[in-house]
Amino acid sequence: HMQYERVGADVTMKCGSMDWDAAVTWTANGTDIDESHLNGSYLILKNVDLSQSGQYSCYEGSSWHLKYQTYLRVGTPPKEPVLMCRSNNYPKGFYCSWHLPTPTYIPNSFNISVIHGTKDMVCEKDAIPKNRCHIRYLQLFSTVKYKVTLTVTNALGKNFTTLTFDEFAIVKPDPPESVVAKPVPNNPRRLEVSWQNPSSWPDPESFPLKFFLRYRPLILDQWQHVELSDGTSHTITDAYAGKEYIIQVAAKDNDIGTWSDWSVAVHATPWTEEPKHLTTEAQITETTSASTSSFMAPPTTKICDKGAVVGSGAMAVCWTAGLVMAAYSVLFI
Amino acid sequence: MAAADSPSAALRRDLCSRGIRLAGKMRADVVDLLDAYVEQQGLDASASVAAVEGLPLAAVERWDEQTGTQRLLENLAAYRAFRALLAQMLEEQREQLGEADAGLGRALAAVLLQVSAFAYHLEELLRLESRGIPGEEEEEEDGPPPPPRLSLFEQKLRGLGVLRELAQWAVRSVRDLRQLAKPSPATGVAPGLAESP
Repeated sequence: HMQYERVGADVTMKCGSMDWDAAVTWTANGTDIDESHLNGSYLILKNVDLSQSGQYSCYEGSSWHLKYQTYLRVGTPPKEPVLMCRSNNYPKGFYCSWHLPTPTYIPNSFNISVIHGTKDMVCEKDAIPKNRCHIRYLQLFSTVKYKVTLTVTNALGKNFTTLTFDEFAIVKPDPPESVVAKPVPNNPRRLEVSWQNPSSWPDPESFPLKFFLRYRPLILDQWQHVELSDGTSHTITDAYAGKEYIIQVAAKDNDIGTWSDWSVAVHATPWTEEPKHLTTEAQITETTSASTSSFMAPPTTKICDKGAVVGSGAMAVCWTAGLVMAAYSVLFI
Repeated sequence: MAAADSPSAALRRDLCSRGIRLAGKMRADVVDLLDAYVEQQGLDASASVAAVEGLPLAAVERWDEQTGTQRLLENLAAYRAFRALLAQMLEEQREQLGEADAGLGRALAAVLLQVSAFAYHLEELLRLESRGIPGEEEEEEDGPPPPPRLSLFEQKLRGLGVLRELAQWAVRSVRDLRQLAKPSPATGVAPGLAESP
């Protein structure tokens, strides 16, 4: 036997068919209940709270025969549920998902109805998650709105909410996937970003997505934005040298609906020239005067024009000269 | 694709691309016109509109199964109907409102021009496929038969219905042309469009 009561209610339990003046003992989850809670053989629970949920049993005084047992569940009637419908797989269909803003602490059942004009549509419930169902579009490009009503019922009451929308308004793709950002060799201000269409979007060729990229160095709050009408890659050309960047991408159907959430953020730092190793003292004394600037990634025009030198030996000379400049810079900081 | 692009396939793709741009621009202008129309006519943007006689509905079942020819023919029929409906709206606009809504009248005329241009573009695509272009229905008078005289408010509501449906069609047309532009994997020909005999 199950009994549902509202939080704050006063609950009276009768000991089955026992008379009011019968001698009984009540237990809650196996623990005797103090007589102060009894009115004759009735158990009185005032202003019940959640902690008072449990098994209540009533035993005849002398024989200890079990006369009555119930499982009390204290809870609340449902508040207005929160309902959301979205098409992340346009033009195949859409899904609706819901939840309660506050728990009821007792079992709830949900019923969803979808009407398109005068036509009832079936929203097939997903196994996982439970609070979700999906609908296949039977028509496309309709101006007739969809009306979705979700009713939630439990032993203590019911509530409902309704959403009305048109086909285009709820189109919102999932975020782009596999976002990758890489430095570009020998380019201290560039980052190459690439991504893929969300796998849930069924036909990107017929229903192409456009993209929004945002990026900023970690040390700044201000985002830079770029909107891209095609392609799944972009090269950032104005990155601050040597600074780590955070990058995200969002997607939207080219023609309808709203932007996706931002993708998972990726981090990348533009290419910087690698630190040099010291060689011989003779090579150090041969070099030019030192620079007093702070140690930064060297500009592309520098002492060694890499295009002019050939072979690893020459490269070593270039690196050495660069290292010496750096060494002198450090001395002057 | 294994086969090289035939000249007609390249031309089809080019016509489809241009058509997509035309339809995209048309849609943007229709949406702006809708906003202006709602505001200037004193309407509620979400008002329900009763069925408008002769209004081609963009709603379609099994859209993905349509052949290329079906898409072109349905689009052409729709835009021809819109041409007549918009011309009627423009006429009513001029009669009823005179100079007060000259801006709205100009915007309506601009959209009408784009609708006509798009209809012509669709005829070009049909010609490319050596499809006969369906003749426009002969009427005793120009355009659809004159409907019973509507009140000013009914005219405004009908206008709202026409523009809303046109906005839907513009989106559908972009999608239809993208489908048309897709080469069929087997033959290199757009799906649903048979080779000319």
